Parts: sequence; structure tokens; C-alpha cells
Amino acid sequence: MNTVPHLSWYLALSAILFTIGVVGVIIKRNVISMFMCIELMLNAVNLTFVAFSSYFRDVTGQLFVFIVMTVAAAEAAVGLGIIIAIFRNRESLDVDDANLLKL
Amino acid sequence: MTGLLFILFAGLAVGCAIAMVVQRNPLYSAISLIGVFISLAALYVMLAAPFIAAVQVIVYAGAIMVLVVFVIMLLNVEEEAKKRMRLRFLIPTAVLLAGVLIAEAAFVLYFVEAHPSPPDPSSSNVGLTASIGTGLFTTYLLPFEITSVLLLMAIVGAMTLAQRATDVPPGAHVVPGAQVLTKQTVDPQAVGDATPVVTRSTVEAARLLGEDDPHDESKID
Repeated sequence: MNTVPHLSWYLALSAILFTIGVVGVIIKRNVISMFMCIELMLNAVNLTFVAFSSYFRDVTGQLFVFIVMTVAAAEAAVGLGIIIAIFRNRESLDVDDANLLKL
Repeated sequence: MTGLLFILFAGLAVGCAIAMVVQRNPLYSAISLIGVFISLAALYVMLAAPFIAAVQVIVYAGAIMVLVVFVIMLLNVEEEAKKRMRLRFLIPTAVLLAGVLIAEAAFVLYFVEAHPSPPDPSSSNVGLTASIGTGLFTTYLLPFEITSVLLLMAIVGAMTLAQRATDVPPGAHVVPGAQVLTKQTVDPQAVGDATPVVTRSTVEAARLLGEDDPHDESKID
């Protein structure tokens, strides 16, 4: 087994990881678990960016990954703040319990 | 050799991702997600992107997952209850949508496969820190600055969301959750035993006061 991984290998892996993330968001009922599945989807897209950046010898894809990571960090801070606020008001992390806009 | 390494880390990533979805305990899910991040960092190194790999480990596996684990432990999350699953039809829906997504991806990859294999990426300097810094501070300076504004907004938003609604000073006999306070509630002399009670949520305050549960769904109509 002396082959160099083809671009399509990375794209297939990215598609599989993204699909697992989508399935997790749909199946999971815990807010934190859904949040982590969203992070998994972001990482799958990052893998696509880096694979294409390496394939085309262009640094732009990796700059996009850098910015995506920053946005993910901001999203993590705000999202976990929202999760804490939900838990404080409802004493539950189940999304089925958070079906009203009023507190 | 590279192919073997790819199979190793790709299998590790997919296995950890599946374990993350299957786990019921959010803490085990978080640890599995860290495994996915580390495997992806190894794949980034194989793609000749060492800077992105380092940032992946530092920012994702370091900062973000520490934040997630911190929140899990702060909220003392128990395992997901098995008793009720109101939207049971979601599981076959999810499997169906996953099949559609994979089929679409395979369809696209079938056409990508027709193109020739890329040159060996190890001989380029695309992924090095110097080239990324040059791109970030020349061509993409505006997105970089906008990202800093976004981070500032995230800091302010997180602090606003996470702080308590009102800070009750230590001698005030204020009932949390009550919007209009009667004179009996505020004035300690009017009530026989007015010891201050600290509650952390509206539901708890209502329970202590003997009032109806404000989240009772039968009362909403």
C-alpha cells in the first residue's frame, strides 16, 4: 500500500463526517450534544477547504479555515451562554422542554 | 505509507464521530469529539498544512472543548433520559436524509475522480505560517478586521447572556420572579417571618411561595 491519498478520499471523508453531524443534530435531544454535532459539521467543511487548498496549491482555502475557526469560537462562547440561560430558566437541557419563546 | 496513515486517521475520525452520536452521556460525547479533532489535525499535517493543524489542536481541542466540558460540568448534566422520545419519527428521517447526503456526495465524487491526481503537496510552501500570514494581512485584511469585531461582539454577548438578571443586595426582602411586589412582601414588619430566601430560578421561587408552576402547560391557554 504505497499510494498517495487522492483528493476524493478526503472529500469522501468530509462528506461522511458531515452526514454524521447532521444525523446527530436530528437525533440528539440534549442541547450540548446538538451543539457538539454542529462543531463536527464545521470541521467536516474545514477538511474540504484544506483538501482543496492543498490540491490547487492556493493558500486561500486555509485562510477560510482560519476565519471559520474564529467564527466557531465566537459561536461556542455565545451558544454556551444561551445554554446556561436556558438551563437557569427551565432547569433542563432537553430541547423538547424549550418549546416556548416566553420564559 | 501515506495511504495507510490516511486510512488509520480517517477510520479514527469516523469511529469517534459515530461514538459521539451514539453516546448518551454528553461528557463522553465531548471526549469523542476531541478524538475527531485530533485525527483531523493529523490529516491536516498530511495535507501539508501544519499551521492549520496546530491551530486545530490549540483552538478546537484546546479552547472550545474546554469551554464545552466546563459547561457540562457546571450544569451537572445527567445522562439523557430514555423514558420519553416525543419525536420518534426523527430517527428514520435522519437515516433517510443521511442516505441522500451520502448519495449526493458519491455522485459528485464520481466526477472528481475523473481528474488527474494532484502533484505531491510536500514540495510547496502553501501551508506554512509565513504564507498564511502574508495572505491574511494583505489580500484578506478586511475579513480579518471584521473577524475581530465579531469576536468583540461575542465577548459582549456571552457576558450579557451569562450574567444574572438582577443582583439582589443582601438585606433586601425581594421575591424573585414577582414583577409587582406587594407591601406585605417588601415590608418585613408586615409579615410575621420574613427571612430572606435565595432562589436560582422562577420555578423554584414559585414552588417556595406555594404558587402555581408558571411553566404549567395547562395554564397557558
